[in-house]
Amino acid sequence: MSTPETSTAVPVAAGDGDGAGGPILKVEGIHTYYGAIHAIKGVTLEVRKGEIVTLIGANGAGKSTTLRSINGLNRPREGRITFQGEDITNRPAHEVVAMGISQSPEGRRLFPRMSVLENLEMGAFQRTDRQNFGEDLDRVYDLFPRLAERKTQKAGTLSGGEQQMVAIGRALMARPKLLMLDEPSMGLAPIFVEKIFEIIVEINSQGTPILLVEQNALMALDVAKRGYVMETGQIAITDDADRLSENEQVKKAYLGIA
Amino acid sequence: MMTEQQTPQQRKDEEQRLQEVIAQRTQRSAGLWRRETAVALIPLVLVIGYAIIYPFEAVYTTLREIPGIGDFFPTPGSAVIIIVFTMMAIGLNVVVGYAGLLDLGYVAFYAAGAYMAGWLASQHFEQVTFHFWSPGINPELPGIHINLWIVLLLAGIFTAVVGIVIGLPTLRLRGDYLAIVTLGFGEIVPQFVRNGDNFKGFDLTSGSFGITPIDPPGFGDGLGDGSGGLLPVNFQRSFDAEQLYYWAALGLLLFTVFCCWRLRDSRLGRAWIAIREDETAAAAMGIPLMRTKTWSYAIGAFFGGIAGAYYASFKSGAFPSDFYFNISIFLLCMVILGGMGSIWGVIIAGTILGWLNIEGLGVIGNYLNDWFFEPVTGSRIEVPKYQFGIYGIIIVTMMLFRPTGLIPERRRKLEMEEGVHDEPAMGERAVNR
Repeated sequence: MSTPETSTAVPVAAGDGDGAGGPILKVEGIHTYYGAIHAIKGVTLEVRKGEIVTLIGANGAGKSTTLRSINGLNRPREGRITFQGEDITNRPAHEVVAMGISQSPEGRRLFPRMSVLENLEMGAFQRTDRQNFGEDLDRVYDLFPRLAERKTQKAGTLSGGEQQMVAIGRALMARPKLLMLDEPSMGLAPIFVEKIFEIIVEINSQGTPILLVEQNALMALDVAKRGYVMETGQIAITDDADRLSENEQVKKAYLGIA
Repeated sequence: MMTEQQTPQQRKDEEQRLQEVIAQRTQRSAGLWRRETAVALIPLVLVIGYAIIYPFEAVYTTLREIPGIGDFFPTPGSAVIIIVFTMMAIGLNVVVGYAGLLDLGYVAFYAAGAYMAGWLASQHFEQVTFHFWSPGINPELPGIHINLWIVLLLAGIFTAVVGIVIGLPTLRLRGDYLAIVTLGFGEIVPQFVRNGDNFKGFDLTSGSFGITPIDPPGFGDGLGDGSGGLLPVNFQRSFDAEQLYYWAALGLLLFTVFCCWRLRDSRLGRAWIAIREDETAAAAMGIPLMRTKTWSYAIGAFFGGIAGAYYASFKSGAFPSDFYFNISIFLLCMVILGGMGSIWGVIIAGTILGWLNIEGLGVIGNYLNDWFFEPVTGSRIEVPKYQFGIYGIIIVTMMLFRPTGLIPERRRKLEMEEGVHDEPAMGERAVNR
């Protein structure tokens, strides 16, 4: 049944070329509810190989719920999510992680009483290839040298920026085929925000596609290739990131430029 | 905010200094750890040695005759009960302490284990006569008589299955809701056995009469005679029955402790702790929540079932009146008092509360009456009657002054120590950098 789906050539947006390929993740018209609250009203989006896609929007627009729907923490009632051509719509979170989608959740959600190293180990929980563990750990320590210094410290005692590093590092330990970052800049000092975005670009340049949820639209559109703007549970605008940052509506509402 | 004004050179120096401090600290703690383990082994060996020789008549009678404090030493018979309850508390600790799932119905597992012993090692099913390695019992005796060592294992497995059956529908709930549902199951199971004497004429549980007598443990004629009496044929028929029961209970306790200690540091144990710390984050890490929680239930139930079956054999009966709600709470008190997740803490708290419950309150009551109530008020009071009030006071006092328990789990203890002096200023500066 899914063969015609996967073989359908996806129209690549104009100006698309460098490294970006076919879609790795497709979200088609999902509806997600919290009890009776209709949080996501038919969201459709896709992430293609090798790109950074950002999902921006105001508080409560449904950005995080979209991510939670993708990785199985919330179950959409309608719609379809496919990852590498496979339907993952109602898969439990642990299966989705095993398939290669890992995320740094909103508010970081570290294990506060575990050390930095133990948190990173938890990220690799689904992995069965123990021998590559050290290699991945080195990769994370390369990206975040601070974490190497602090590996025995309890995650709960780290500063906000360091915690965000652990959260991203932890997600990377799963060797994701798709990395989802939920508000990595939340609550961080400006200099740290810049640092985190640099690292996001670096991770992406190593080949991992990233779905980035952000309130900091300026920074997000700066690093992303394409962007989706969410409003009250729906995708309001879709475009290339550089064109979105020129869009009058976006400028006004999210970039604070009149 | 002043620290923002640092020059690059100052920052570099600072960085270097920090690294040195960290290196030093790591070294120091590594050395400390090695010394600590060596030192920690001494009391461990002493405690186990003491526990092993305790039931020898020469030992415990001497201890019990020490003037003033002699009454504080329990008889070996009471010690068996203390050990069995401690074992259950360690099982409950897997559920409550490791996985952080509040279970108010643990008594259901005790009941399941006890009835398993009743079914497989008594005359209850007199329709059949089945003997397997029975401990020197007349092979003509009707009923199922399987050797208790095997029954213990079967009881553990059966109870683990009961745990899974209870867990599958309930573990989807979180926090208070889970506690309420487990409370319900803790009530359902005793009601079930109380009324389980007539399933269309089939008597499963003997109703409120309970199943009695239950076979004692033993190694049977073959092994007993073969070992020249070293392995007793039948505990009940030995001169030193209480001692044998005590040592077997101690063996089971050590087995439980060993398993739970190894489990804590396993992949499964880490997954439990992750769920306890943050369930959503654990799910996002790819930990299968239901399976992991169900495992904690099954493993906690497994030890509860073994302890229940052993206890039923010790007192030679399984009665529905034994499985009241208070026991669930009593076991939970042991876990909280000891320190959730801490094996040593739970052992100590289990010993103290178990002792208080069986002998201690009576002993303390006598002292209070002799030295205070009788001379002052002219009448004696029955202290054991107030047991749950007293446990309540203990718990409230603990929560106020030592909320992490007598011996906090390593993780929680570290949090308290490091959280205080891990230079939060350093973290602040890191943000500004």
